[in-house]
Amino acid sequence: MSTTDTVRRTSRPGSRPAGRPGTGAARRGIALMLPAAILMAVLTVVPVIAVLQRAFSDTEAFSRLFDAPNFGRIMLNTLVWTLVSVVGAVLIGYAAALLLRSPYLRLTGAWRGLFMIPWIIPGVVGATVWRWSLSSDYGLVNHWLIQANVIQHPIAWLSNPDVVLYAVAMIQIWTTAPFVMLMVSAALTGIPAERYEAARLDGASGWQIFAYIVLPAIRSTTWIAVLTLVTWALNSFTIIWVMTSGGPAGASTILPIQLYQAFQRGDQSLVSAIAVLQLAICAVFVAIYARAMRSDLEELS
Amino acid sequence: MTRSFARRPVLAVLTWIALAAVLVWTLWPIVLMIFTSFKPGNEIFAIPPTLTPKHWTFDNYTNVFTQSSMPHALVNSIIVGLLVAAATLVFCFSAGYALARFKFKGARSVALFILVGQLVPLSVLLLPLYKMVNKLQLLDTTIGLAFVHLTITVPLVTWMIRNQIAAIPISLEEAAEIDGGSRFDAVSYVTLPIAAPGLAAAGMFAFLQSWHEFLFASVFATSESARTAPVALTEFATEYHVDWGSTMAASVVLTVPVVIVFIALQRYLIGGLTSGAVKG
Repeated sequence: MSTTDTVRRTSRPGSRPAGRPGTGAARRGIALMLPAAILMAVLTVVPVIAVLQRAFSDTEAFSRLFDAPNFGRIMLNTLVWTLVSVVGAVLIGYAAALLLRSPYLRLTGAWRGLFMIPWIIPGVVGATVWRWSLSSDYGLVNHWLIQANVIQHPIAWLSNPDVVLYAVAMIQIWTTAPFVMLMVSAALTGIPAERYEAARLDGASGWQIFAYIVLPAIRSTTWIAVLTLVTWALNSFTIIWVMTSGGPAGASTILPIQLYQAFQRGDQSLVSAIAVLQLAICAVFVAIYARAMRSDLEELS
Repeated sequence: MTRSFARRPVLAVLTWIALAAVLVWTLWPIVLMIFTSFKPGNEIFAIPPTLTPKHWTFDNYTNVFTQSSMPHALVNSIIVGLLVAAATLVFCFSAGYALARFKFKGARSVALFILVGQLVPLSVLLLPLYKMVNKLQLLDTTIGLAFVHLTITVPLVTWMIRNQIAAIPISLEEAAEIDGGSRFDAVSYVTLPIAAPGLAAAGMFAFLQSWHEFLFASVFATSESARTAPVALTEFATEYHVDWGSTMAASVVLTVPVVIVFIALQRYLIGGLTSGAVKG
């Protein structure tokens, strides 16, 4: 209780009259930022330091992690899962965003709203429904694929070790593609109409307009979307846990799943070792992300 | 994209086919969820499987609301979500206002620090936060879970509110001050009312994040007294038996409020999210 109380109390400056602008703006600004900054420090910095301390006071856990026979498999799983789900989401998200720009479509807003549904529903719900529809005996996916003569025998989507990782990645794609669509749509809307007209007057083809006007205009958005997707994939837990719990026989276990399993066993030193590994991977992307966001933050300084 | 294509019927047909394909890919699991939730038990495991129920029944919903722990879990979810939304708004209005209105040294670093917080993997924080919440004796309480959910909401909502306030001309506040009000009056009588719809959307966004969250919820609120709906949903599946009818009905119950809120606030949520990510 004590920590939340302290944090609450320090949030008071937020409602205190701040006086005229220009005098002591720095002090007021910092005072207003402080509650949120302290809160985030308590929720992220303090735990990260605790994890680092724990892990490096007991380095034997690292050798247990790296020498474990399944370590290579888990790293490979994490890589494949991230690659497949990010590439898939970007492709489908782009396709959907470009489709919604088509001059032949009516009711674009309604379609966009419908496309958003997989992203806005709770992850647990999406994972649960897909788990049901991918069931090998009662699932509609197998039933329809067999009826359409695409496959001869039911595929054990979630219990065949060779298939399961791609199956769960497909659900991650289903969930995150709408986010890409949203970002790309927003960026496309930002392209001024004059630019298209000027290009057309100069005799540019549809493909040239795409390659020289559309793509450059949405490059930075794509970059941020990809970074966000990679972070989500690397840290994702719910979909895999609900669908397979990392099985069968570890075939869909990625780092966060392994960490959670160690947590459940009460193996604190292994939890900390995996957390440090995740942090190291994450730090790379944080550095890139901070660089990408820097131009946005420039105006604040 | 260009007018010159407008007379090609083949492209029009292709567009609508592509739209249909994306719609099927997007929506059929949702449709399956809704139909299955209305199926009686014997039809759910029928072979060959069908999409639509032959006999429609509300039994699964009755079961969810009378036989399961779901009603209690829904109440817990609402309590946690409201706590998260309220606390998030207090912290983030303060920080967002400072970022939008005061130019000072270090603002950029603090803003970056708050933003980067959202990139720290939740699983990394799991063990230390567990110990922290345990020490505060808040394990297995709605307050403890709401506290850790702030990790997810505060970074994004700070940014959303910052952008909303930056869009309100500061001259409005100055006018209020010239009329004799204090800065506090200016904020509470001018800025707050203008920002209110956006703040409500930000609060709903925080609520939804908490409503969805699964990893922390499954660790910090394990017993029935504090367990939230996403975790309770997975409880329908015991090791050897899954009550798919009730699971699907519960899934619908979990989804419907989200969709309603989203449709109502679509404009604000999309604007807030993309402005945080695309440009400042």
